[in-house]
Amino acid sequence: MTARPSRLGAVPTVLASLAASLFLLFLVAPLAGLVGTGGVAGMRLLFTDAELRSALVLTALSATLATGIGVVGATPVAYALARGRFRGRAVVSAIIDLPLLIPHPVAGIALLLVLARGTPLGEALSVFGARITGSVFGIVCAMLFVSAPLFVSAAREAFDRVDPRFEGVARTLGDSRWAALRRVTLPLAWRGLLAAAIVMWARAVSEFGAIVILVYHPRVASVLSYERFTTEGLKGAIPVAAILVLLALVPLVALRALRGDGGLPSRRR
Amino acid sequence: MIALEGVTARVGDFAVEDVSFDVPQGAYGIVIGPTGAGKTTLVEAIAGLVPITGGRLTLGGTEVTHAPPERRRLSIVYQHAYLFPHLTVRENVDYGSDSSRTTVELLERFGLAEVAGRNVRVLSGGERQLVALARALARRPEVLLLDEPFAALDPRRRTSVRRELRTIYFERRFTVLQVTHDFHEAGLLGDVAVVLERGRVLQAGKPEDLFRRPASPAVADFLGAENVFAGVATPIRDEAPDWVQSPDADTIEHAVAFTTGAVTLYALGHIIPGTAHAVIRADDVSLSRTPVSTSVRNQFRGRVMDIAPAGAITRVTLDVSGLPLVAAVTTRSAQELQLAPGAEVYAAFKATAVHLC
Repeated sequence: MTARPSRLGAVPTVLASLAASLFLLFLVAPLAGLVGTGGVAGMRLLFTDAELRSALVLTALSATLATGIGVVGATPVAYALARGRFRGRAVVSAIIDLPLLIPHPVAGIALLLVLARGTPLGEALSVFGARITGSVFGIVCAMLFVSAPLFVSAAREAFDRVDPRFEGVARTLGDSRWAALRRVTLPLAWRGLLAAAIVMWARAVSEFGAIVILVYHPRVASVLSYERFTTEGLKGAIPVAAILVLLALVPLVALRALRGDGGLPSRRR
Repeated sequence: MIALEGVTARVGDFAVEDVSFDVPQGAYGIVIGPTGAGKTTLVEAIAGLVPITGGRLTLGGTEVTHAPPERRRLSIVYQHAYLFPHLTVRENVDYGSDSSRTTVELLERFGLAEVAGRNVRVLSGGERQLVALARALARRPEVLLLDEPFAALDPRRRTSVRRELRTIYFERRFTVLQVTHDFHEAGLLGDVAVVLERGRVLQAGKPEDLFRRPASPAVADFLGAENVFAGVATPIRDEAPDWVQSPDADTIEHAVAFTTGAVTLYALGHIIPGTAHAVIRADDVSLSRTPVSTSVRNQFRGRVMDIAPAGAITRVTLDVSGLPLVAAVTTRSAQELQLAPGAEVYAAFKATAVHLC
């Protein structure tokens, strides 16, 4: 006797599909609405609105600078967290993740507290002509503070995926610790590290809360869209917001391409 | 030369502790032990990849206990090869090579010249292992550490890779320490064997000594001794005719009566009276269909319980008054004796074939 599939068995599948569809709709609908409504106008603004163009250029350059500093400073931290077996590793990890969890205006206030004029660090920076408020330096600091933890986390995963025995073999073949890192670990982890940098860059580009506390002028794209909303209302903000959504697709597509996600399930070997 | 004196090394919660043994210059050492014994931790500690927290390690006469791996003049080959996947075969072999000439020489020698330009990801398991071996040898190490390098290979490939390694070993005479869980490999290859279990050395010495005179029933069992019996040893009086003094004046060997179940064996040894174990290799036990008059002191009547032919050798398990005794005879002898389950046979072995521990 053959067992017949129960009709009741289809109920969970239908419920799960419904929940998934509603969830996807919730994510896609606002973005699709924004692009549908203001996408064309936004593209036109790219050619006519000099303020938008300069905000986008400032955003991209600041994010690139913040990412560069993050990669240089955070890569050794990520490597130490992946390979090191030291006391307090969990505490260090938690502290590094903290900026991801606090409200971003709070991150801005924290930076202000430490780097503003009148503080020892702020005074030291002013000797070099740097100030945190109303400057590109402030924008870069805010971006770095909120997005570097994402880089550390992703870079640590990239290092974790490289078996330490590769380094061990390289060292028995005559490499110093640094040489093994340069000749073996970094070449094997580069895709993951590049993906981590793209994630950091994308997060830096989208930052608003911390930047607006430190630097209202010069305006980055997120601050500009907010300003257009407060001064011109929804109509003025939509084209700027739409262009930001379209530009956000660029790093996401790059990331997927880097991970080799072509949309097809990988074949088992 | 590899010399360990009370070496301790820890990885997480696991430690190899107080490990001591020597592998002389140019000798082939084997570390044998079951899975999880700490064999890999031990070779990685020797390589400098796991820190040594106690004791002293000397390689080639130089103390290297805390020296970094690159200063130890050794190479390591793992079971899974760990070839650098971003490099070609040639680049892998050349990685630590002392000269490009050595690289080319080894590529040709191991039959890898044709695949030298290929990425290592496309190689077969046997080819990968050959590349790993060539890469390790290209550095011209004084010590070669092998962590189960043949385990993942099919039998034919295993034989050819092993043969190639042996040839180079005899040419260059570097010191080798190989990890294996296969005691047959130890017998085939080793000058020195070390039995490791739960991070501690159970016994170290010449492989034949370990096989013939295991220090404990655990070693005997692990090394594949077929007959390991628990019982009581009773030394026979000194004035008896078979009282023996060993050539070494410090040790006196006595004739010993060893009782296990309903059977009493006759053995020689310097053992404290009381509970002990007797180890008898199956190939020391001979069989006959009738009692024979010989010099052997142990002769028992038994019944065949099981016959297991394996090529030229047949293992015959007998029931000797409740004691399961295994004999290894040639398959031809087993046929000529017309052995069959239930058949009555006589098993004989010398007192010197009984090792007490």
